[in-house]
Amino acid sequence: MTRTARLLLFAVAVLVLAPAGVVVAMNMPAFGSHELPYGDAVNSTIPAARHISNMVSAVNFDVRGLDTLGEEFMLVCAVTGTVVLLRGERGEKLTSHPAQMRGRLNAPRSDALVLTGRLMGPMVLLFGLYVVLHATVTPGGGFQGGVVISSGLLLLYLCEDYQTWRWFMRAGWLDACEGGGALIFVLAGAAPLCFGAHFLQNIMPLGKFRDMLSGGLMQIVNAAVACAVLGGFALVFLEFLEETREPRGDP
Amino acid sequence: MTALLPWLVAAWLLGIGLYGIVTSSNYIHLIGCLNVVQSATYVILLCVGYRWNAGPPIFDPQPPGTPAVDPVVQALVLTDIVIGATVSALLLALAVQLHKRKGTLDPEALRPMR
Amino acid sequence: MTDLLVPLPIALPLAAAAILLVFAHNWPEGAPDAIAVVVSLAVAAICGLLLPRVAQAPIAYWFGGWQPRHGLTLGIGFVIDQTGALIALFIALLFAATFIFARGYMPEIGTYFQALMLLMMTGMIGFCLTHDLFNMFVWFEVMSVAAFALTAVRLEASALEGALNFTVVNSIGSYLMLGGIGLIYAKVGALDFSALAQGIAKAGANPVVTAAFCLVVIALLIKAAIVPFQFWLSDAHAVAPSPVSVIFSGAMVSVALYGAAKLYRQVFAGDPAVDFAMHHLMLGMGAASAIVGGLMCLWQRHLKRLLAFSTISHVGIMLIGIGLPSAAGTVGMIVYLLGHGLVKASAFMVAGILLATYGGIDELGLRGLARPIWPAGLALALAGLLLAGAPIGLMGQGATLIGSAAASAGDIWAVVAMTLGAALTGGAVLRAAGRIFLGLGPVPGEEEFEPTEREAETRRPFWLMFAPCAVLVLAALTSGGTVARFVHRAAGPFIHPDNAGILQGAAKLTGSGGIAPLPPDPHPLVPWLGLALALGLAAWDLSRQYLPHRLLSLSRMGVAPVWAVLSKAHDGIIGDYVAWMVAGLAVMAAVLALR
Repeated sequence: MTRTARLLLFAVAVLVLAPAGVVVAMNMPAFGSHELPYGDAVNSTIPAARHISNMVSAVNFDVRGLDTLGEEFMLVCAVTGTVVLLRGERGEKLTSHPAQMRGRLNAPRSDALVLTGRLMGPMVLLFGLYVVLHATVTPGGGFQGGVVISSGLLLLYLCEDYQTWRWFMRAGWLDACEGGGALIFVLAGAAPLCFGAHFLQNIMPLGKFRDMLSGGLMQIVNAAVACAVLGGFALVFLEFLEETREPRGDP
Repeated sequence: MTALLPWLVAAWLLGIGLYGIVTSSNYIHLIGCLNVVQSATYVILLCVGYRWNAGPPIFDPQPPGTPAVDPVVQALVLTDIVIGATVSALLLALAVQLHKRKGTLDPEALRPMR
Repeated sequence: MTDLLVPLPIALPLAAAAILLVFAHNWPEGAPDAIAVVVSLAVAAICGLLLPRVAQAPIAYWFGGWQPRHGLTLGIGFVIDQTGALIALFIALLFAATFIFARGYMPEIGTYFQALMLLMMTGMIGFCLTHDLFNMFVWFEVMSVAAFALTAVRLEASALEGALNFTVVNSIGSYLMLGGIGLIYAKVGALDFSALAQGIAKAGANPVVTAAFCLVVIALLIKAAIVPFQFWLSDAHAVAPSPVSVIFSGAMVSVALYGAAKLYRQVFAGDPAVDFAMHHLMLGMGAASAIVGGLMCLWQRHLKRLLAFSTISHVGIMLIGIGLPSAAGTVGMIVYLLGHGLVKASAFMVAGILLATYGGIDELGLRGLARPIWPAGLALALAGLLLAGAPIGLMGQGATLIGSAAASAGDIWAVVAMTLGAALTGGAVLRAAGRIFLGLGPVPGEEEFEPTEREAETRRPFWLMFAPCAVLVLAALTSGGTVARFVHRAAGPFIHPDNAGILQGAAKLTGSGGIAPLPPDPHPLVPWLGLALALGLAAWDLSRQYLPHRLLSLSRMGVAPVWAVLSKAHDGIIGDYVAWMVAGLAVMAAVLALR
């Protein structure tokens, strides 16, 4: 189809959909003042039932933990796919002089940049760790903290040089981190089966309300998710920053 | 009108994102438009869970029992964000590899088996 | 004991995939293949063990121990009924056969291939067994993302382009589904199927509920490649590795339709607009898919692309089945799903055998070359006969059931479309078999102008590749009658689930009272007509050199306009695909609004 024909088709379709959209919007429950039975049930029962104060983490890791398990493995799929696509036939050995690859700009970093990185890096790492550990108390959790830590790792590339970055980011460790996190999540879910409980049932001691280590099984699940997200995102960063070899010719 | 605004915003984001995909001439732009389409779902979900004069569903330091918004949709949005981020990474990796092989990112020039 | 079994079909492959990834660089040769086969057989065994245990009544299992309290569901539940367990068993067995077929397929990506396939299997099984709408979406995403990654794994330009089209179109579908989930959650305030069903029955005909149905179902129809959402399938199938194409056509597209049937019967049946739309809209879209898929199938020369269009056609027939109001249509669809999955998987395995043995997949280029591997030709010919609608085996029984359900609902035109579509695809596959394995048909028709490319796959031992192929196609010959009667007994809890029991957290659900008995077989002539048409088409194409010139040019002139329009439409440009998708959404919205 020519661009005009395509646009015409799209315009006609939108003309039909627009009034339908307006009718649906007019029939939606009143914004901000309709019943939320599911949310209210969670908000009222979880603090007493699981001794935690972050309801979103409770929903993520306990009440709807199976969703998070599926989503974790969806992340693993996507990262594995990205890794397979970008590593290609390059293989995974560290090239002997990664900083001296043809076409790679290798300008020395300025002192101010290096200093900023060395100050900010540990702080970002610490903050990320804080977010991960306080999943059950304050906003945050494995996902958020894992992403913060992995983006902190990028500071290594931005503020140090490529060699340091490449030395630190070993594909083997990151693969193990990601896969290991996912594996621990599944095993943590399967462990209650050995005690006659249901999959992912929270049978561990629940700790004190508003304590960092409250929530029982949620702590393990949260840590596993943090590992997997950290490993996954760091792998993605590594693969994108790493240069890949020329493709072998198509037949 | 304020009652309709959240849903109309979501519909607009959906529409403009799809328009961008239909008329795109660069795959990176197309992936960005896909993210715009996804933002429409964030808006719908979060606005469904909102409640006037209620706080976040975190009971620290306020005691359990204070009015709070719906935590379930927030958990759904978290899942949605992870899906979006990882699918975008996969798409960008595809675009990188395609660019190396064909030297272009124009969808009209990148048709399978032609 | 049953409680222990239920989460295992999900937990086992997830754990196996994670272990494969953790030690990705340290596995000895052949270990990941063996692990994958063992895990899929174990999952099949567990589903097989579950089948008799849910014969009396389905089992409800609540993850995290979150039983429903006071009629409110907090946690995520799996409700295992016999149809779900049967389809899960089928999926696991199909994966086991594919792992054997793919032994040694891509040594350079090693364990990543098995890990992604295991995750795709988990996504499909979770999708079939779950009883929660958002959980269904999550497994749908797992299945989709694994599929996106696997399509591009060969890293050639075509594979990447096909994967891009696939990913973008299906991701838009997923986001639409998520929007639909948001809408229905706003209206009803729950995510469990039983709670949703009760809420929707109370809400009645409500635009929000109807819009939610439209958005959720459109994602499943996109995944199932129904016209006008089918454009991505031919691109993705043609370029994906053949073991992956086996799974796509054998299970993935059909499972999406099973999900649509489940949503219709178990959740949205209380909305009268949905009933109307299912009957008329789905029948129309199914019939259109059957015809369009069949016509395009006949005009292909790239064998995997040909089989991809054949899948579109047969998925259209399945959609006709679930759109019909009677239970016989749904029973027929499930039987047809099993039969088509087995046959199409076997056909794709033959395509893979050709790729591995001769380094080519072009029907015209391979003409006559494959005589030495004639058993594969027999399998392909048998697949062609079954696809054409021969009244034997699972596919024949399924088609008979769907046809009689359509006839009793007064939709004879749907029966005509079904038979025509199946005949077209069967004829194309028979022609391909005749050309490749017997060297017939030196004069090509329109297929000469369709896209094709040279590709090859790793050489593997013939018997290793052929054994699963033969087993699958012979399994499709199993008595359709027995399976149909089994599915008919199993379909009661599927179509009329015990929602009250589920919401009370009952330990034992009541078995449903059963559904109307199956209608008698319709005209026995109809399938034979289809088969005759298929054989006629294949004979015509293979004997062009004997036909009078005048006749050939007349037929070419007659076909040319249709061919030009359809061929141009499948042009590989993502903007066109999305424009058609939005147009399809508009049509669905318009039909739903009419009621």
